[in-house]
Amino acid sequence: MLLFGPINVLNDPLLRLFSQETINFFIWPLIQIGLIVTLVALWVAYATYLERKISAFIQARLGPMRVGPWGLLQPIADGLKLLTKEDFIPENADRWIFFFAPYIAVASAFIVFSVVPFGPDWAVIADVNIGLLLVLAVSSVGVLALILAGWSSNYKYALLGGLRSSAQMVSYEVAMGLSLIGALMFARTLSLSGIVAAQGSDSIWYVLYQPAGFLLFLISGIAENNRAPFDLPEAESELVAGFHTEYSGMRWSLFFMAEYAAMVVVSSVAATVYLGGWYFPFVHRLEAGGYHNLFVIVSVLVFLVKVSIILYIYFWLRWTLPRFRYDQLMDIGWKWLIPSALINIALSAFAVFLVQALNGWRGMKTIEALDRGLNLTLTGKVIMIVIGLAGVFITAALLARINWRSRDFNLKTQRRNIRLVNVPKGKPAVSASEV
Amino acid sequence: MSLVKTPKPTWSQKLKRFFMIDLIKGLGLTLKYNLGAITDKDAVAGKGIYTEQYPKVRPDVAPRFHGAPRLNMDPETHDTLCIACNLCAVACPEDCIDVIAMDVEIIVAGKPRRKKVLDEFIFDTSRCMFCALCQEACPTACLELTQEFELATYSRAGFVWNREMLEQGRETVKYTR
Repeated sequence: MLLFGPINVLNDPLLRLFSQETINFFIWPLIQIGLIVTLVALWVAYATYLERKISAFIQARLGPMRVGPWGLLQPIADGLKLLTKEDFIPENADRWIFFFAPYIAVASAFIVFSVVPFGPDWAVIADVNIGLLLVLAVSSVGVLALILAGWSSNYKYALLGGLRSSAQMVSYEVAMGLSLIGALMFARTLSLSGIVAAQGSDSIWYVLYQPAGFLLFLISGIAENNRAPFDLPEAESELVAGFHTEYSGMRWSLFFMAEYAAMVVVSSVAATVYLGGWYFPFVHRLEAGGYHNLFVIVSVLVFLVKVSIILYIYFWLRWTLPRFRYDQLMDIGWKWLIPSALINIALSAFAVFLVQALNGWRGMKTIEALDRGLNLTLTGKVIMIVIGLAGVFITAALLARINWRSRDFNLKTQRRNIRLVNVPKGKPAVSASEV
Repeated sequence: MSLVKTPKPTWSQKLKRFFMIDLIKGLGLTLKYNLGAITDKDAVAGKGIYTEQYPKVRPDVAPRFHGAPRLNMDPETHDTLCIACNLCAVACPEDCIDVIAMDVEIIVAGKPRRKKVLDEFIFDTSRCMFCALCQEACPTACLELTQEFELATYSRAGFVWNREMLEQGRETVKYTR
């Protein structure tokens, strides 16, 4: 009753059939799971529609227009088409692994939605106190699916795609996990609802405290999902389609669904941790006014808008930037993102320490409360925001200095350098102006 | 010791790279296109979306476009304007027009005369290059190349238009959605 108090319309008829415990721990979660799986599947389907529309708009085209008004039924038509297509299995493929790889991909993407707080109260299935850890752990199982799919296809391009994706996801996983730690220092909890509540009680979005962390999380999230400009595992011009070259029909579309679901997961985690989740100013007045369910629904809508904005950034980046070279990809992952995530952790630790040290120094008051995350006064917030913004530039400048050689990594120049070593003095093979 | 002189980046170039100005410029360009497409206003030149929804919306062809041929008729009497002078067939560089005329007896001012009238008009659109020299040559503004552009047929024989097709227009399936 504590969890689902406001919706007691359904509770009384259910109570005739089941005990209160069964309703609280079995029936309600099942209803929630059914709703969320349906809605998320629909959302994922319409993410493909949006992707096609936005890419079309960016290229001054119209995109899907023929099925339904403005092509709104296109995802459903696509799904039906894929369901009726042949489920082809290559002759020498590892049949069972080939069968199961797409399911692993989809499951690892969809399980994460069990802890994502879509809204307060009944809009979250399970408020686990290690929610963020679960998100990171489960979503990284998705790598396994890609490796297995690439391996079991028994095809060179699929295997290369699987290898690339595993290398890429393993290296960006580190940066992704590290970039979240800064925000956790303020929230002081791993529960996603707890993080939202901490931001709500501090009445701030952590993107202001942690601009560097937000950027790092977004970049590594894009790389983690194998999205352009980091879509090397499925680089069309090099690997046909990467790990899902041999897949067709519904199995192929499961990989597609997994990709878009993983995008939604990363954007919802980013929205939860950095953009305040479902929390929005003035929405709390609905709760105070007694409209509890309306408050929950409005909060869910706020959350969806925030996620959609981040999803739009995904699409926007994909249709703007060309694909990275593989060495550049690893360069960004290991030489830029991981060190800057470490620097970000150090800086945010310093900032938290500074704010606590300044509290009470010469009558300065920076901390309001510590019981629900780090609640700062206006002075504390200003200090935090200044340090956070400065941190972006400090990190970038520091790394630009450290990586100044690798920035101009150019095989052509290197080859010329090597060749010039043995050239006798006064007779350069290549004149300096040409280089 | 550096063996190759690489040009050192200037301060403005360094700052540009540091703040990723080029990346932001590119993102701004794509955003401009996207917003232009949503509002259907100018992104670069003219309009936001260049796609034509062809069967639904008929495209506006250029005024100088030459399409399917037509034999015009007198709007009042519905007699053909063609006087079977054969000038169009002579003018045609591809030799794709055949004018077949016949002589009919008519009585002009009480005397029997013979008049050349049009019997059949063959226009081979498969060889036509739509230069409109026939239209230029026609003394009575009868033969005209219209703006109609749907000329595809299922057989080679379908490209050869006879007099009826030229006068009435060819029947095509019109897709409206």
